[in-house]
Amino acid sequence: MTVHNVFGPVDIAVSGMRAQGRHMEVISSNIANARTADAGQGQPYRRLEAVLRAQAEGISPVVVEEVLPDQSPFESIYDPGNPLADTTGYVAMPNVHLPMEMMNLALASRSYQANAAILKRYQKMVETTLELLR
Amino acid sequence: MPQPVDIVGLLESGLRAEETRQRTIASNIANLETPGYRRLDVRFEELLAKALRSRHATGAGEVEPEVFEPEGSPVKANGNNVNLEMEIGAMLKNASRQTAFLRLLHKRFAQIENAITIRK
Repeated sequence: MTVHNVFGPVDIAVSGMRAQGRHMEVISSNIANARTADAGQGQPYRRLEAVLRAQAEGISPVVVEEVLPDQSPFESIYDPGNPLADTTGYVAMPNVHLPMEMMNLALASRSYQANAAILKRYQKMVETTLELLR
Repeated sequence: MPQPVDIVGLLESGLRAEETRQRTIASNIANLETPGYRRLDVRFEELLAKALRSRHATGAGEVEPEVFEPEGSPVKANGNNVNLEMEIGAMLKNASRQTAFLRLLHKRFAQIENAITIRK
């Protein structure tokens, strides 16, 4: 027999907010490091991507499964004066594209707002139910 | 044979648990950035279920809530594992449950008063 916790929507909405919060951390890391030519080991910063996963089958909270590096190639900028330039005068730069990050930021923040709206609406529903006890 | 249910005792002990939980939530939020702080929660529902199923004299009204440090929350670099959204969710649930218990208690007392009041 499956028992449905009467406060289930709260946990699910909170999981959505946490996942999008984590997603925003990843996006802010990408944006802050968009021009980081040296992230250690002679490599520029590699863009990160948050992978979201449903925790269970059917009705389920979401969780940030892992944060994976984006394997697309680094950008190459011609800048022979740069101390990090290679023998042909090119510097490898992060594979971060600001328009894409800004779009993801808008999506993440909309998603966060939608989850917060669920929390608020659900709370109103519960209050309405509790009014019956007055 | 299970004990007859002491309704007022049950509701009051539930209310005590929610009040304890509210204190832990406040502590968690106050320590949102404190290095090394681990979030606190209250163990009550399982203890209550055990008491209700048991055959001993422990009334449900005597179940005391226990404060503990739950596992499972991801720990940040500074050793702190408090997450604001999670505490807010806990706060909402706590407020709803507290209101439910209070109003049920109120209804129960009204019932008792109704039963003992002789009306002409």
